[in-house]
Amino acid sequence: MERKLEIRSLELKVGSGRESRVIFSGIDAVAEKSQFIALVGANGKGKSTLLKTISGILPKYGDGEILFAGKPLEEYLTRERSEIFSFVGAGSPRARHLSVRGLMSINRYYKTNWLGTIKAEDMQQISKALEMVSLPGFEERDSSVLSDGEYQRVTIAAAIAQDTECIILDEPTAFLDIANRFLITKLLRDIAHKSGKCVIFSTHDLQSALQMCDKIWVMACDGFYDDTPRQLMEHDVFNKIFDRQEIVFDKVTRSFETTNDRQ
Amino acid sequence: MKKRRKYFIIPIIILLVFFVCDNIFGGVTIPVKKIFLALFSGPDTALPQTEHSFIKDIICNFRLPKATTALLAGVGLSLCGIQMQTLFRNPLADPYILGVSASSGLGVAIFVMGGSALGINLNSAAFQTFGIAGAAMAGAILLLLLILALSERLKDNLSLLIFGVMISSIASALINLLQYASSESALKMYVVWTLGSFSGLKSGQLLILALLLVAGIALSVYNIKDLNAIMLGEQYANAAGINTKRIKVRIIVATTLLAGGITAFCGPIGFIGIAVPHIARLIYKDADHRVLVPASAILGGGMMLIADTLSQLPGSGSVIPINTMAALLGIPVIFAIIIKNRA
Repeated sequence: MERKLEIRSLELKVGSGRESRVIFSGIDAVAEKSQFIALVGANGKGKSTLLKTISGILPKYGDGEILFAGKPLEEYLTRERSEIFSFVGAGSPRARHLSVRGLMSINRYYKTNWLGTIKAEDMQQISKALEMVSLPGFEERDSSVLSDGEYQRVTIAAAIAQDTECIILDEPTAFLDIANRFLITKLLRDIAHKSGKCVIFSTHDLQSALQMCDKIWVMACDGFYDDTPRQLMEHDVFNKIFDRQEIVFDKVTRSFETTNDRQ
Repeated sequence: MKKRRKYFIIPIIILLVFFVCDNIFGGVTIPVKKIFLALFSGPDTALPQTEHSFIKDIICNFRLPKATTALLAGVGLSLCGIQMQTLFRNPLADPYILGVSASSGLGVAIFVMGGSALGINLNSAAFQTFGIAGAAMAGAILLLLLILALSERLKDNLSLLIFGVMISSIASALINLLQYASSESALKMYVVWTLGSFSGLKSGQLLILALLLVAGIALSVYNIKDLNAIMLGEQYANAAGINTKRIKVRIIVATTLLAGGITAFCGPIGFIGIAVPHIARLIYKDADHRVLVPASAILGGGMMLIADTLSQLPGSGSVIPINTMAALLGIPVIFAIIIKNRA
């Protein structure tokens, strides 16, 4: 069985009991090895909910199913799931005096003893991951005093060190300047293509997604789309992202503009 | 980190020194030499028979149990503090934030004041030996069961925090109501319990307390990995494949055993539990709970012994409540460390 992620007719729900409501339905998507996939959509569509649902942080959803290697996600044990998916949240919190090694060790805990002692193999993975994000020798640095860009890289390195088949990131470039946004997106693409991992990330930076991603998942007003950037542009999908007619997608500049700008 | 671990030696020495001091000072000051002679040798010319048995009686029946209780209480409350502060990611969280102190207090208030209203003899030996402690522990255990029963509904830590604050408020309101309707002697007994004390514990009580605290301390040590895992929040831990629900239950059980046991036998002792974890973080400058948990335990035990020794007001023959001394001693230490750290 090919080890790919399949989402079938998924319905996303928020809240519980009487207050639960469906925020998006009819999600059909596939993510394979070495693919670099961007998830785009307007605010409130449920991008974070979808990514957290896939990675198992939000275990409950409505109808549909999520399969990995042909097996439903809920049939995996927590430990098994932590070997398949790693997740980097938007604006990850910081802890004072927590070393970079200490932070990254948390992602290796599923392999450690009762005290969380990391072994030489874990140390190697941590150092290798830090090298991949261009932060070699950062192991002993205090993670709480790193710049936003460096800290984001460390959290990505932590996800790499978890050594999973899929890395899922919720707006990893949200708090970064333009240069760091570009570098992080390029870094994620390299991770996907060079290490054979599947990388899925949500973003509002459509230009970078069009330029660098193998596929884009679009949470549009009329449904969910999973296709290559070229196909999505040909089918004019990006004009369906926002529920506002005055905002249109320009295929030439690959950006959004208002109808007033066009006139 | 390895360098910082060397800094454990000084706090351990301070702890041992004040454990001895707590045995030296009291109503009568007993020199160390005489304590050792009374404990480890028979009566001889150096220590006559009457003095030998007098000192042995004071040390074995009063001061040693009191110092041991203070040490265990300091260790236990500090471990509760570090676990609560990490679980809630809140520097103001203390051992009683889940409402343990309030629910224990309510148990004692119902028992003492209710017992008084029902005409039970409050001065009976059985009542004083296990009645108050049992009532306090019953209050803490009921709270634990309530939290565990509601744990599915208390989805996030904020809900748990609000639940604890509400429990404390309800318990305080009920205690006030009981105080209003209780007799003078029952009210006095309740107020004395709230002031906190390590003295007067009988060997049976000390054994129960020690068992509760050893279980709580062992569970706290077992929680070290979990505490590191949830230090960056539940979402981060979940993403790293860690079952945060199980972690939360283990931390709550450990805290209830420790804070509940200490409150039951020694009264609601404040300050140490909230202050010591901060002192540990400031001294060791490490977020790793493999350092912070033992550091908090050693510093907490040491601080409580210092507070207990000073509360005897050596040389004066008077004693001030341990709660008062813990606050008077700890607040300047915190200020000093914060100012030094900012400079």
